[in-house]
Amino acid sequence: MRFLCVAGAFACAVLTFSAQAQSLRSAEALWKAHDYKGASTEFSNLVKLDPKNADLRARWGELFLERYNPADASALFQEALEIDPKNSRALMGMARVLADSYSGKAKEAADKALEFNPKLYQADELKARIALEDDNQKDARAAAEAALAINANAVDAQAVLATMDLLADKESPWLEKIARNPNKAQGYETIAHFFVINRRYEDGINYYRKAIEAQPELWTAHSQLGVNLMRLGRAGEAYKELELVFEKDQTGDAMTGNSLKLLDTLREFTTFTTPTTILKASPKEADALRPYFEEQMKFNIALFEKKYQYKVTEPIQVEVYPNHDDFAVRTMGLPGLGALGVTFDTVVAMDSPSGRPPGEFHWASTLRHEMSHVFILKLTNDRVPRWFTEGLAVHEETATTSDWGDRITPEIITAIRDKKLLPVAQIDRGFVHPEFPAQVIVSYFEAGKMCDYIAERWGEGKLLDMAREFTKNRPTVDVIREQLKIEPEVFDRDFLAELDKEVGNTVKHFKEWTEGLGEVNKMSRAPDANKDDLIAKARALELIYPDYVELGNAYMIAAKACLAKEDKQCAMDEYAKYSKESGRDSDSIKQYAKLLDEAGKTKEAEAELERLNYVNPLDQDLHSKLGALYLKSNNGALAAREFRVLIALKPLDVAGSHYNLAKAYFAEGQKDKAREEALNALEAAPDYRPAQKLLLEVSRGEGTPQ
Amino acid sequence: MGCCLKRLLTAGVLLAIASPAFATNFFLTVAGLGGEPDYEQRFALLATDMDKILRAGGGTDRVIETLKGPDATKAKFEAALGRIASQAKAADVVVLMMIGHGTFDGTEYKFNLPGPDISGTELATQLNRIPATRQLVVDMTSASGGVTAALKKDGRTVITATKSGTEKNATIFARFWVESLRDPTADTDKNEIISALEAFRYAQTKTAAFFTEQKRLATEHAQLEDQQRAAAFPLLRFGSAAAAINDPAKRELVSKKEDIENKIDALKYQKDLMAPDDYKRQIATLLLELAKTQELIDK
Repeated sequence: MRFLCVAGAFACAVLTFSAQAQSLRSAEALWKAHDYKGASTEFSNLVKLDPKNADLRARWGELFLERYNPADASALFQEALEIDPKNSRALMGMARVLADSYSGKAKEAADKALEFNPKLYQADELKARIALEDDNQKDARAAAEAALAINANAVDAQAVLATMDLLADKESPWLEKIARNPNKAQGYETIAHFFVINRRYEDGINYYRKAIEAQPELWTAHSQLGVNLMRLGRAGEAYKELELVFEKDQTGDAMTGNSLKLLDTLREFTTFTTPTTILKASPKEADALRPYFEEQMKFNIALFEKKYQYKVTEPIQVEVYPNHDDFAVRTMGLPGLGALGVTFDTVVAMDSPSGRPPGEFHWASTLRHEMSHVFILKLTNDRVPRWFTEGLAVHEETATTSDWGDRITPEIITAIRDKKLLPVAQIDRGFVHPEFPAQVIVSYFEAGKMCDYIAERWGEGKLLDMAREFTKNRPTVDVIREQLKIEPEVFDRDFLAELDKEVGNTVKHFKEWTEGLGEVNKMSRAPDANKDDLIAKARALELIYPDYVELGNAYMIAAKACLAKEDKQCAMDEYAKYSKESGRDSDSIKQYAKLLDEAGKTKEAEAELERLNYVNPLDQDLHSKLGALYLKSNNGALAAREFRVLIALKPLDVAGSHYNLAKAYFAEGQKDKAREEALNALEAAPDYRPAQKLLLEVSRGEGTPQ
Repeated sequence: MGCCLKRLLTAGVLLAIASPAFATNFFLTVAGLGGEPDYEQRFALLATDMDKILRAGGGTDRVIETLKGPDATKAKFEAALGRIASQAKAADVVVLMMIGHGTFDGTEYKFNLPGPDISGTELATQLNRIPATRQLVVDMTSASGGVTAALKKDGRTVITATKSGTEKNATIFARFWVESLRDPTADTDKNEIISALEAFRYAQTKTAAFFTEQKRLATEHAQLEDQQRAAAFPLLRFGSAAAAINDPAKRELVSKKEDIENKIDALKYQKDLMAPDDYKRQIATLLLELAKTQELIDK
């Protein structure tokens, strides 16, 4: 080309233009023929020839976006916008990228695209979609109608309008229009998307099936169908769909490949089944997790059956993932946090305690949270706003056991200080399209506190009344008015006043606390610091922000200072406060339990270590210590549980662990099992005298082992 | 393989149990330069703990010396090794434990001390002057894997906190090594002696678990070259296991006990080839017989 250009500028321009047009046609043809790599190469060549052409880059970005590569797509849209800030194709592309990741900035991008191209009905469709994801029906309808005013066949706009009817359990005239639309498959896919994000997975699956029926090669629908079948535990059918996408759509999106890998992982899991529960866990930790998980699953079922007056008729399945990336596949493509657990109908997927640094993750709180979803979603037939089901689940985390759940974090305090809490009528938006990084976490907290407030002011039963009202597909504002007999604005005002009573002091003195905590941490590292002074300063900080039990917290600093001056009672007082505020650091709680035990408070020591089973049940030392305490208090059954788990964790001290289990069985009066375990201990260490003595005792059938 | 190795190790431990009656155990612990107050404090504390544990341990046949803080200079370190060299005999046991930071430049390892550091080669020269034929060096510093080549010698067992000189992060192995001597569960064969092998396995397992639990990439991988020899190093005794062996009145029972132990070893060796129920029945019989024999010895 460069050679030809020397002939003259005019000829060069004509030839270049002609060659470009041909190349662009070639790129589009390759794209249509599913040769995406070839098409991308053509676009790359075109961009080299015409680097200032924003449209080319935007179109190339669209190819990347269609081929599940939002990062490269976004970069190309950005490059196009640097060349031409008014390029509506690039602006629209950017809006789609942002919308796919539930970014709060997606609407702004779509508005900008419309500003420069008011006829871009796809931008209106996208706005409609975003608004409906926020459950903002008014804006969703307006945007959809605007799109249809430009293009009466705008299928996504039709789908949004149909979805609004379908979610409200109404017949929709728009379904007939979609059925006649040449792009009906896309319309059904959009409806399916809304059912899924509203946790109506069965309905979503049905619409993905309709989309596939209308367009059998719509691989995105096949992929989503597979993913949602997997979510509901239908692994066989899910595998078939995903494998089909993997084969036919050049591996499909990341979600397809990751879901296939996840299904392979799940096949390796160990499954424990009871009439009401199914527990699936990695074989490496299944035996150790089983007693605690099954106990909690059964407890939660009994708790919620009574509380919600509802019985889930099928077994509840809990999948526990030691690899966080595996769990993350479960939450891909869904709005909200989903950081620790996620519920699909009667299937709960969650991180294993081993998937997180110890002390960071209270798995039992997460399990209770998710199982609350199972009941509430079943009870309401999935017709409940996000804020209410999440808020109720957060409320349940601490409703029965006050030291469970998460405490108010500095980022939430900052949000309260900066008045960023949303009114109850709009709080769903905070879960779906966050406008600041911590907004999802803040929304969970706020929704949880709202449910706490309702339970406190109107009684726990009112929450159930509200859930039942939501079953009728009533909007939040109507339910608030009818059930609480106040206007939503008054509810917001009263709620904030109540919240202020609880955390106002922390919010007001947050800066002072932040500085003070830095100072006491610095002091605690100085060996010659005055311990009394340190304790006094730490205690003052505890009063400002009692919920802070994370790294560098005041309780632990004070407790260590107490121990340094050999004042055990002082240390116990600090640890007691720390524990009450849900402090979960293993070493600190073990230290507290040791002090309690030394003070003759064995039962209290047991209770403290038992708390750690809900945080780090894979800690061998914990089971060893707790088992020893139970043996001391002659609780053979619980001691046996602890030592059985210890053995399942393959301890270094095999002989000692089997011997302790033998002692536990002996204390329980199970002599046969005691003998078997004594023999297991001796097989590992034949000269282990305490085990020999126990074996002789058990074999003679008399006496008490020492 | 596991069974055979275990039998060999058991034999090694028995040798170790028998030897202390005639041998002196020299323990030298050195906590090097911390560089920062936090490390300085941590290293000194570990050395102090080790010193306390060793002094509280059973037996009078022990010479214990600990250098830390400003005392842990190269000159004092070399002087301490010199004292051991002048006192130790061939049958004696020497255990050197090093806590702190180390460096490796690709050729030479150095243990960081206040003032001049000591190199791996210099350390080897000092240790080679010690006539004790059984030496254990536990180098728990960063980059300690870099010292292995320099210290290699027949009769000397070297444990390092890192697999090579390139693992340069501050280590945590020392914390668990010290803990192993405090925790009776480290005594996995329940013979009331914590051997170097048992302490190594304990510290190695705990170190690995630490990184796994913290979801951090492990920056240290402890190494031990010769497991059999490490099993023969009795680091700490906390019972009276060896007492009966020396009682002439119980020699017959002790002999019977050894006979049963050999049968148990032989049976375990056959385990994979036997029907599970048959193995279970036979091992139960032997273990019960062993327990009864031990009861008679203890009377």
